[in-house]
Amino acid sequence: MASLLQVLFDALSLGSLYALGALGIALIFGVMRLVNFAHGDVIAFSLFALLWPSTDAVAIVFAGNLPWFLLIPFTLAIGAGLSVLSELVVFRRFRRANPATMMIASFALGFVIRYFLLMLFTSRPKSIALLPALSQPVEILGARIPLLQLITILVTLAVLIGLTLFLRRTRFGLEMRAAAENFTMARMLGVRANRVIMGAFALSGALAAASALILGSQTGTANIMMGANVMLMAFIATVIGGMGSLAGAVLAGFLLGAIATVMQVILPPDARAFRDAFVYGAVILVLIFRPQGLLSARGAKERV
Amino acid sequence: MKRLTAVLAASTALAAPAFADDDRIVVGFATAESGFMQGYDKPAQDAAIIRIAEINEAGGLLGKQLEVVNADTKTDRAEGAKAGLSVIDAGADMVVVSCDYDFGAPAALAAESAGLISFFLCAESVKAGIQGVGPNSFSASVLAAVQGATMAQWAYEKKGARSFYRLEDTWTEYNKGICDGFDWMLPKLAEAQLVGEDSFLNEDASIAAQITRIKALPEEPDAIMLCTMMPGGVSAIKQLRAAGITSMILNGSGMDGSYWMSAVPDLSNFFVPVQGSVFGDDPNAEVNAFNAKYKEVTGGDPATQYTYPGYVMIDVWAKAVERAGTTETSAVVAELEKMVDEPTLFGPRTFTAELHHQNKARYLIVETTGGKPAVVDEWTISEPIPVADLMK
Repeated sequence: MASLLQVLFDALSLGSLYALGALGIALIFGVMRLVNFAHGDVIAFSLFALLWPSTDAVAIVFAGNLPWFLLIPFTLAIGAGLSVLSELVVFRRFRRANPATMMIASFALGFVIRYFLLMLFTSRPKSIALLPALSQPVEILGARIPLLQLITILVTLAVLIGLTLFLRRTRFGLEMRAAAENFTMARMLGVRANRVIMGAFALSGALAAASALILGSQTGTANIMMGANVMLMAFIATVIGGMGSLAGAVLAGFLLGAIATVMQVILPPDARAFRDAFVYGAVILVLIFRPQGLLSARGAKERV
Repeated sequence: MKRLTAVLAASTALAAPAFADDDRIVVGFATAESGFMQGYDKPAQDAAIIRIAEINEAGGLLGKQLEVVNADTKTDRAEGAKAGLSVIDAGADMVVVSCDYDFGAPAALAAESAGLISFFLCAESVKAGIQGVGPNSFSASVLAAVQGATMAQWAYEKKGARSFYRLEDTWTEYNKGICDGFDWMLPKLAEAQLVGEDSFLNEDASIAAQITRIKALPEEPDAIMLCTMMPGGVSAIKQLRAAGITSMILNGSGMDGSYWMSAVPDLSNFFVPVQGSVFGDDPNAEVNAFNAKYKEVTGGDPATQYTYPGYVMIDVWAKAVERAGTTETSAVVAELEKMVDEPTLFGPRTFTAELHHQNKARYLIVETTGGKPAVVDEWTISEPIPVADLMK
């Protein structure tokens, strides 16, 4: 029983990480049909922003020393700021370009961010003790789980509830949903496009920063490549969730986390090295039976 | 016509160093000066250059001064081959290549086909040498398998560890090498028992499922053999300890250094094999003197033991050249292959006609207690790992 509960927590915490990433991608895809591949690099940037640039092996922790009630808003602001900046400097100029062009631009932006970090910090991974109080185990119903796992799950749930309220109950949220549904129509009805898109970028950047905080406290390591793996999983989650569907992205994120965890548990030792092949196999199966994704966004359907 | 003469003149000027003048010996470094391998190549290269400077100060090698030429591999395999050719063109008598087998091999192969000796700065795969490059290629470090075998035998003999758990990060050959050495040693330890095994990927954000499997054991294993490296290793260790697992953690040398330990505050019961200590407590005073010299030259202490193979490399090569009385490849290789337990600052080194790498070596054991690493013991595995077992 306890071990089953443990597996459940493992799956939920990994799924939370993927869900947060997927949500960040789905938000932007919803309003402007852009698959933002720079999202992973925004995650890395948000974590590196807590360190002082140096090429030494030992990281010089700078903003990372702030108490948690300042550290969290600071990191979220960095993520949101960088994301908004990328919209202002790069994506605004591609507003009328086709999605493939925008996707390539996002790849390019990701490289720029990554190499900027490489220049300042070198390629050596840096260690950082982020929110060390979270590295304590806690006991719940006989399962001993790291406090951070619990916090990750709770934070993700809080973000999901907050975002749902924001999208359902506020004017800005309504505009964002309208824009996601049919961008041209929304504009004609008086939704200010730039404001909505900027809002989506800010939210997405803040979600990237939240992922950065969780990853940073979990792994204790800042690495310029750290966003790549989460980004890939998050992207897959948005695809199988149904491009543009926020609920779908979250659901698929949790599903991927669950599949990866369960595969690790049930596969024999020799096959575990190929766990991801099984995970992607499951993804292919989903796409064969539901090519439009688990929950397809209404706006994304082809209209004849 | 005039233009052709100019081109010809230019190319002869470029080619000129290839006909090395006789009052110098050239060491060519085809290593990474940029990209992610730079972080690993640079310290060992700095150590090599310190040894070169020492030799020059003492009057040179065969009465000639050693000179250094560089070419950047940019952490790219195609660039690696070019960098190799470029230092060969610049007249290198010996070619030093990147730390890692995959990144160093292109330049090493270029040296091999030019009939020159190549040395991997610190590669720990058996392929970095005869098996993967050719008869003139060597590695300055010790095989990863020796690290796994050392940790298993030492923990068994000195710490009384009986139940072992094997946790392998399947990312690199190096990781696999450590676990191969562990697998080779374990059956030789009469009462040792493998109570479980699992694998993960270096880039995994979470190893929660692997940890759950360890926690599901009837009792915590005495020791966990963790075959991994940066950066995922830190994450794995942090998560193991955060989950309340207190078993000894045995590692390869890849986890040496204290620069990452801020990530796992108060880490204890954590063991790493090293060729020399970067913590200022090496039992050999000369190693501590080397650390001081390194700091003087580079401005910082060595971050990990992977600094040292660069020094050993120039040391053994220069001895072989001295004994051969020439830099001619076959003569130097023959002298290197005669070395049996050749003393160096960082333990004895042996090269044979079958293996240009160390399949047995003295390791210092560094234990970390309360976040403070210190040398607690030294260990040499009871017998060398057979070449056949290394090739599995």
